[in-house]
Amino acid sequence: MSEYIRSYDKTHNSRLQILIASAIVIMTFSILISKLWRLQLIEGEYFSEMSYSNRTRLLRLAPPRGSITDCNGKILAQNQPNFSLSVFPGELREPEKLIEIAPSILGISPERMRIMLLNASNSPKYKMFQLKRNLSIEEVSLLKSNLGDTKGVVIEAKPYRQYPYRESLCHVLGTLGEISSEELMKSERFVYKPGDLVGKTGIEKDYESYLKGEEGWNQIEIDAKGRQIGTTNKILPQKGADIMLTLDIDLQKYVEQVFVERAGSVVALDPETGRVLALVSKPDFDLNLFSPSISERNWKNLNSDPLHPLENRAIRGLYAPGSTFKMVTAMAGLSYGVIRPETTFDCAGELEVSNQTYRCWKQRGHGKVSLHKALVESCDVYFYELGLSLGADRIAKYASLFGFGTASGIELSNELPGLVPNSAWKQRRYGSPIKDGDSVTMSIGQGYLLSTPIQMAAMMAAVANNGKVMKPYLIHKIVSADGRALFENQPVQKWDTSFDYKHIQLLQKALKDVVEDKSGTGRKSFIPGLRVHAKTGTSQVITEKDRITEMDQVPYHERTHAMFVAYVNDRPKKIALSVIVEHGGGGGAVAAPIARKILCKYYDIPESPQ
Amino acid sequence: MAYFEIHNKFVVSFGRLEWSIISVSVILTMIGIALIYSATASLGVHDKTFVVKQIAWFSLGIVMLTALLIVDYRIFEKYSFWIYLGIIVALIVVWSIGRVTAGSRRWIDLGLMRFQPSEFAKVAVVLALSRLLGEKFGSAPIELSDLIKPFGIIILPVALVLVQPDLGTAIVIFLIGVSVVLFAGPSKRVVAWLFAAGISVMVWTYFFSGKLLLDYQKKRIATFLNPDYDPLGSGYHIIQSQIAIGSGGLTGQGFLQGAQNQLMFLPVKHTDFIFTILAEEFGFIGCLIVLGLFAAYLFRGLSIAHKARDGFGSLATFGCISIIFWHVTINVGMVMGLLPVVGVPLNFLSYGGSSLLASFTITALVANVSMRRFNYYS
Repeated sequence: MSEYIRSYDKTHNSRLQILIASAIVIMTFSILISKLWRLQLIEGEYFSEMSYSNRTRLLRLAPPRGSITDCNGKILAQNQPNFSLSVFPGELREPEKLIEIAPSILGISPERMRIMLLNASNSPKYKMFQLKRNLSIEEVSLLKSNLGDTKGVVIEAKPYRQYPYRESLCHVLGTLGEISSEELMKSERFVYKPGDLVGKTGIEKDYESYLKGEEGWNQIEIDAKGRQIGTTNKILPQKGADIMLTLDIDLQKYVEQVFVERAGSVVALDPETGRVLALVSKPDFDLNLFSPSISERNWKNLNSDPLHPLENRAIRGLYAPGSTFKMVTAMAGLSYGVIRPETTFDCAGELEVSNQTYRCWKQRGHGKVSLHKALVESCDVYFYELGLSLGADRIAKYASLFGFGTASGIELSNELPGLVPNSAWKQRRYGSPIKDGDSVTMSIGQGYLLSTPIQMAAMMAAVANNGKVMKPYLIHKIVSADGRALFENQPVQKWDTSFDYKHIQLLQKALKDVVEDKSGTGRKSFIPGLRVHAKTGTSQVITEKDRITEMDQVPYHERTHAMFVAYVNDRPKKIALSVIVEHGGGGGAVAAPIARKILCKYYDIPESPQ
Repeated sequence: MAYFEIHNKFVVSFGRLEWSIISVSVILTMIGIALIYSATASLGVHDKTFVVKQIAWFSLGIVMLTALLIVDYRIFEKYSFWIYLGIIVALIVVWSIGRVTAGSRRWIDLGLMRFQPSEFAKVAVVLALSRLLGEKFGSAPIELSDLIKPFGIIILPVALVLVQPDLGTAIVIFLIGVSVVLFAGPSKRVVAWLFAAGISVMVWTYFFSGKLLLDYQKKRIATFLNPDYDPLGSGYHIIQSQIAIGSGGLTGQGFLQGAQNQLMFLPVKHTDFIFTILAEEFGFIGCLIVLGLFAAYLFRGLSIAHKARDGFGSLATFGCISIIFWHVTINVGMVMGLLPVVGVPLNFLSYGGSSLLASFTITALVANVSMRRFNYYS
């Protein structure tokens, strides 16, 4: 306790320091106040004169945004100047002149003009108020010659984003929008200012830092009439980098055209490199709707559309892979030695497992089925039996090997990973162990399994590539405004499945016969002279209904999804693709003809009716 | 006994709540919020994000102030080195993040706010120095050998802030450190040495930097240390800021009516250039009121430093007061063109959570020392 008594030492000799400090404070504040006095009271008049008459302004010169092109350099997104007429309400001295001249040029009534100017005069005095945008060149030249000298009237050229191919590739390219205050606060100082357009979705968002460019500054002098006297200093803005994609817009557009169904997705990859050849999600929307900003009505329409046109189904649509998944089950069965190529099961049209009847799509049954026949004719019972012997965890392991359950790694940021259920997941999610029934439904790609179209295309690419899994990529290269390549993509092998080559060959032969065999389910994608490997799938949306119901009697949202995956790997130009038609019905009937058209276009084969 | 102790600790202490310092802080912050509203209204942001955030930090500041008043300030003496260490770690984190993102960064992103440790580093340096020098305070003059550790305490954060790079904060930390050392009662020898060192540094900078460096090199260094303020390198901001202040005249152009404020943009007018808004919209009278409030704060602080019950309390109070003093001097001097442009906020008025919370920490420390100056423990 005594230490506190000692430390309480009122005699600490700070009187001198306090006096000196007080003197310093008084002195400093006197200097500050006298300077303030001089600035505000002696020179005040001069400064307020300067403030009104001869002032310099620092204008920020927005950088032109980089373009996005396809692999042949065709422009998919670019900047175009957009002229607009604005006024500074605080500087507008002759509103009558504006009301007299402008309406006839702009094709609006003088009353309307008067109302707009009234609104302008009620808005902040020194903030630009926009009267009309999207002016034509004729309008601009007429306005310039008639109103160019009028104080307070500004004709502004602002870049806006233009998408020549409109809805083509809309989900990949993405949209621009005005920067939100949250993004503004998060960005480094001075990089953005309110009103700037920034990428909101797709590549425009994910590659914002490359596309943006660097802003410039222009210091201008303005006279009493608000006219620019001269530029005192200028730093030019730097254009953003251009991004070149891997895909060919002509093929992309063709795929979009042949996909006439309401909703679904197509993904085409180069199996050897992982290059994306086409990435389609339907329904789509015109990107130009968003430029320079989307109207409230259009935004509402897009958002309230039950088919969600803004969603990129290719990387975010979650579907049970259906029978296309049977090749995964097959490879698991062969690799674990549960079956041998010649193993047969008897298909009687249905199988009973734990008091539940699981049906084959062919009610009469397939009879004695080998693996080859099971794949070619897509026999369900064969895979029920195989799934039962394998168990869900072993199927899950092979599903992961084919890339299911994790994002494919394409450069778009919001990709979904899908879901591969295993016993640990089931325990965590439902608190119950995985059952035989789960293994059975999983073996034919139903149940809890969820995959995206790009994952299905990647699975096909892995088979075409003899088991090597490549990472899909969309960006070919990024080139700066001065022509330097900032980034150039190289194919990346994610992993090698190290399947037994004999097993892969067996699978590939079966997939070929899906198309070429008379009883194959993928007959509709047969192209004379081209060796197509494929697998059909029909993914159930709700629990099985009575099969007798005709397709068009089932409500749209209860119809099955049609799936078709295919590849060609014996040509110099290779391709692997997945086609998903939401609520389209059967994969072989609806999705296969689309794939056929795409393949014909890709290989320049004249399309002849079968 | 226990009762009296508790009684002493809380009831008596809160009976002597340091109202003057606290109410000046609150008034200044409210003026600041009005000015931030005016400054950001012209940015064209149709929402009130900046004002809302500042109000949120103000509320947080009040909560923090109350919490810091409940404990005896000797707890800061006890943990001063740990506080200092924590701030140093935070500064290193900021520096390494800045290295990774290859740009200048002064903050750590905490999601809700950007924690800017350099603002708190100033308070931490004051606490650590007061602990080091407090023991000897009043009993014997400070000798050169006593200054080795304090020198290390000052120079470490100065270096870490300088590499961010943030010249303004580095200068302020250094000045604060020197202020505390001078207040601690140095011997005449030490004063002479410090004086000589100061003069030689000034001479060295004046002559040698002029001779050794070419103009463009100096400019390059200046833009490196301070890239934000002068994008054109022509004193643009100072001219604009002088015009804004000057056109305020005696009574100002009125709230939200400042032509310079509403028209052109000083990019940092809601933070470091907030004083120009005050001057333009509220004129000489408005500035006098605000400077008067700051003066009242400083003199009240000095009186508390004089009457504090122990060396640590006295030194810490003086250190805290010197933070406010240097900020006001450098910031107001800078916007009027008396001093070069460096990034120093104006306490309580400038927009920014870290700066406001650090300001309220200072108020809390000073008030705490004042409230407990009659608490003796026996």
